[in-house]
Amino acid sequence: MAEAVSPSTSEKPKAPRIGVFVCHCGTNIAGSIDIEAVKEYAKTLPNVGYVNDYKYQCSMPGQVTIQDAVKENDLTGVVVAACSPRLHEPTFRAATKDAGLNPFRFEMANIREQNSWVHMHDQEGATQKAKDAIRIAVAKASLLEDLYPKSVPVEHAAMVVGAGVAGMQAALDLANAGIKTYLVEKSPTIGGRMSQLDKTFPTLDCSQCILTPKMVDVGRAENIVLMVNSEVEEVEGYIGNFDVTIRRKATGVLSPAEAEAKGIVGGGCTGCGDCAPVCPVTKPNEFEMGMAPRKAIYIYHPQVVPLLYTIDWDSCVKCGLCVEACGEKKAIDLEMQDELVKVKVGTVILATGFEVFPIETKEEWGYKRYDNVITSLEFERLICASGPTGGHLVRPSDGETPMRIGFVLCAGSRDSTGVGKPYCSRFCCMYSLKHAHQIIEKIPGAVPYIFYMDIRSFGKAYEEFYYRIQDEGAKFIRGRVSNIQEDPVTKNLKVYVEDTLLGRPMELELDMVVLAAAVQPTEMTNKTRKLFGVSCSTDGWLLEAHPKLNPCGTTTAGVFVAGVCQGPKDIPDTVAQAEGAASAASIPIHRGEVELEPYYAMCIEEKCAGCGMCVNLCPYQALSLVEKDGRTVMQVTEAKCKGCGTCGGFCPGGAIWMNHFATPQIVAQIDAFLLGGEQ
Amino acid sequence: MAENPEGWQPRILAIICNWCSYAGADLAGGARIQYPPDVRAIRVMCTGRVDPLFIMKAFTDGADSVLISGCHFGDCHYLEGNFKAAKRMFLVKSLLRNIGLDDRRLRMTFVSASEGAKWAKVIEDVVNVTQELGPSPFNREYGELKELV
Amino acid sequence: MTEHKYAFYLGCIAPNRYPGSESASIRTSKRLGIDLVPLEGASCCPAPGAFGSIDLNVWYAMAARNVVLAEQMGLDIALICNGCYKSIYEVNHKLKHNKELRDGVNEVLKEIDMEYKGTIDVWHLGELLYDPDIVGVDKIRESIKVPLKGVKVAAHYGCHLMKPKKERHLGSTEAPRWVEELVEALGAEAVEYRNKMQCCGAGGGVRGYDLVHSLDITNEKLINIVEAGADAVVDLCPFCQLQFDRGQIEIEEKFGIKYDMPVFHYAELLGLAQGMSPSELGLDLHAISTEPFLKKVL
Repeated sequence: MAEAVSPSTSEKPKAPRIGVFVCHCGTNIAGSIDIEAVKEYAKTLPNVGYVNDYKYQCSMPGQVTIQDAVKENDLTGVVVAACSPRLHEPTFRAATKDAGLNPFRFEMANIREQNSWVHMHDQEGATQKAKDAIRIAVAKASLLEDLYPKSVPVEHAAMVVGAGVAGMQAALDLANAGIKTYLVEKSPTIGGRMSQLDKTFPTLDCSQCILTPKMVDVGRAENIVLMVNSEVEEVEGYIGNFDVTIRRKATGVLSPAEAEAKGIVGGGCTGCGDCAPVCPVTKPNEFEMGMAPRKAIYIYHPQVVPLLYTIDWDSCVKCGLCVEACGEKKAIDLEMQDELVKVKVGTVILATGFEVFPIETKEEWGYKRYDNVITSLEFERLICASGPTGGHLVRPSDGETPMRIGFVLCAGSRDSTGVGKPYCSRFCCMYSLKHAHQIIEKIPGAVPYIFYMDIRSFGKAYEEFYYRIQDEGAKFIRGRVSNIQEDPVTKNLKVYVEDTLLGRPMELELDMVVLAAAVQPTEMTNKTRKLFGVSCSTDGWLLEAHPKLNPCGTTTAGVFVAGVCQGPKDIPDTVAQAEGAASAASIPIHRGEVELEPYYAMCIEEKCAGCGMCVNLCPYQALSLVEKDGRTVMQVTEAKCKGCGTCGGFCPGGAIWMNHFATPQIVAQIDAFLLGGEQ
Repeated sequence: MAENPEGWQPRILAIICNWCSYAGADLAGGARIQYPPDVRAIRVMCTGRVDPLFIMKAFTDGADSVLISGCHFGDCHYLEGNFKAAKRMFLVKSLLRNIGLDDRRLRMTFVSASEGAKWAKVIEDVVNVTQELGPSPFNREYGELKELV
Repeated sequence: MTEHKYAFYLGCIAPNRYPGSESASIRTSKRLGIDLVPLEGASCCPAPGAFGSIDLNVWYAMAARNVVLAEQMGLDIALICNGCYKSIYEVNHKLKHNKELRDGVNEVLKEIDMEYKGTIDVWHLGELLYDPDIVGVDKIRESIKVPLKGVKVAAHYGCHLMKPKKERHLGSTEAPRWVEELVEALGAEAVEYRNKMQCCGAGGGVRGYDLVHSLDITNEKLINIVEAGADAVVDLCPFCQLQFDRGQIEIEEKFGIKYDMPVFHYAELLGLAQGMSPSELGLDLHAISTEPFLKKVL
């Protein structure tokens, strides 16, 4: 076998002696693969100095067998044929290290996830594939070298993107842990969806009442740098050292601090509201789901944090009346421009929330065609005392109080037609029960009709809440609403549904229908995740590193997720995940440094022609051309290199050595597969 | 299509990226989705690492098909590696055609970490196409040109 | 100028019961630049509800045969009936995309020396009239000699033309507006009515199997249409037309309710607006007298 030596090695390599350890994983592997045959085969491979098997190689005793074998047989490298390296590579690297070898002299053959589990009915095929996998692994292990992970310092600061309850909680935890936290929010206030809700299930707490104390805490926290009307524009760097550019959009309004900085003494916006009444432009207020007006200069509601007005430039006609009304405070600057701010942080949490699915695409329910069909979020605003109707539920068509109200559950969720979403939106059953309760409580004599497929009341005290609503007299009809027709005169709604428990179709005339519409990820979430290099799952929600073992992390080191942006969840789960994410995000910061895998590229200077074509290929600008001993050669800035290998895959002269994935190592794997065979 | 030689089993090399396709393949395993055992996978960090040399070496070593699988465009863990890999594939395909190999023997796919089912389908498809194409002319045991290599 | 030439598939009910629809279709199309050429040797589509409910293979084969006749002429098919549309359009669509089905049908067609090749498309005359690249509402409006002023017309879309949505291309199945636009192009006022997308009750073999139930459905439609103040119903399907027209006689017999609501195929109304006489349109063959409507417009 050809010797492959990286440019950093100076010593002559020892002849390789590889130990092969075959794991049964109980019956997970042993059930589909003939372990004995595999072991016998491994013994015949070149460079193999020891072969054994074990029931659970990853267990403590299993690891000890590796350590003992290395010492007793003077092995130079370890191959474990077991599960996926994505699961146990760190485990066995640690075992290899404890055995006295450099941990990177370890290679894993995946004979479980990519073999025994997927070829359960073909023992012959699976066993042959396992033999090949071990042969390939041994070939690479024979050429592996000592590598030393780099430690990089971690900036003592964090960033949270999104200031709904998830982002707020995460930011508070980080701030309380002594970490300076940038909280970036795209809208003019923090609070997110939770501040739009009236009451929360199952306790029926007033949502704003429990949220506003947290909002005030966020506004006051010394360690939180609050940036509203801001968006992440660009991201560079890596864990411990993220360089994030934030676009602070021009609001046209100066905060007291900003006014002070401009020399306006005692000026800046105090939230007094003198500007709004004189503004000539009226627009729908997004916070009120478009059901109440706001001016071009506005706040969403009286409890916004920070308490600063904002100008909607798309509507503002720059008449200047607000400037006049503001007077001495001189808080309005109609010529304000966006500002780009660069910050450096160690870790990032994405908490970018959700939006409501455009339920008008499910035409059969007539949303946006019929006045009295509304969504659940619109219902929340109508029933909320601080909402557009002062908490009185009224029909949009005539302002009358509805007495017969229908709730269509799973509207756009659990939908296999291709129009809606295939997943369950998780919290709609519970909030619809809550809505039914609110109707019964607020409108004597009113009857809520709940059209459901299932009632998912999974959480703590949720099932009891369901009983309560049943007892209170809500009507439950198990069936899907196939069609809603509107009476052209009364604007009442004729709802067609099948009661599947009675086994017959029904027609009900109702005054109002509330669609428990599905929720979906926002466009902004998609844009932001790409900036941070975070994947999304097939349903569009952000992808966690592992659904059970790492639900707050992502596969991008240093970036975490919290809240509904990772998948629909209720407030308790959101806050719990936010705390989890904050804890995880604080660890590298408190450690002060983080180890990076040493997969970086190196230039083999003797072979480098200095053509410089690799320099442009690097997505991280980690490569540059330098003068050395009168020649132009490429040089790698190791701190920037992430080890992707794009340069290595290209260099026409073979002058780039990719640590741990070097060309001779990979070619050895290919040759071993195709040219090695039954020995 | 001519009958395939007795005893021939397709020898297919896959080079797959750690963050998306390898994870997707693991997910297929977790879900116990079954697929044919003819593919041997080698792990790289990013499909950008794939040197056209690897693919040519595989074919001259007698591989019947080669599969490169990475992240979807826009989702590459290292931002753009998969774009560059895709561009190289066009070059390599043209090279294969020039030396008389059917360019369908080289395939690039995009399987994300959550697409276990898709991985299984990809394998089935690649194995089927390879069965249809028959052994590579350079296949060491069954290839028509095996004496040349 | 007749650059748009189609093989005209007649179906059964139009030529047998409402021949005016046939002549109106041919003449009004000609005036609007569509040339409808007779499709010789065509059989029943076959009726999708009746045949489809009993034996799908027969349905596929008979519909395919009608398509092949047009393939042999090298022309797309134009037709004027929703039921025929379901049979011929849908089977053509299915055969184009399903090799196994195609091979099976061609096995049958081989016995009569025919082969389905998948070379033509199938259209409803209504969509051809609406398509601005072929005719469009503006051209229709310009061709009108007798604007149908002062009448309210309720549009009945029927079912098979628009649904199933996944296998059709004519837009919203809950709140479409294109037939109303076609009506307005004639000068009439199109009125919306409750549950306008509901079935007429005839199709799916229901009229044949359970007349009373089918009339119950038609009755509900008529109640809603009357409530909207319509002077007439317009349809795109001779079977719907039969159900509404003849059906009112049957509803009077069985339920004792009289409506006297004139029912027209769109082609008949278009012919009327273009100046064809009631006798040319065979309106005297309608079960429900169209006199009250004609008095208002002529």
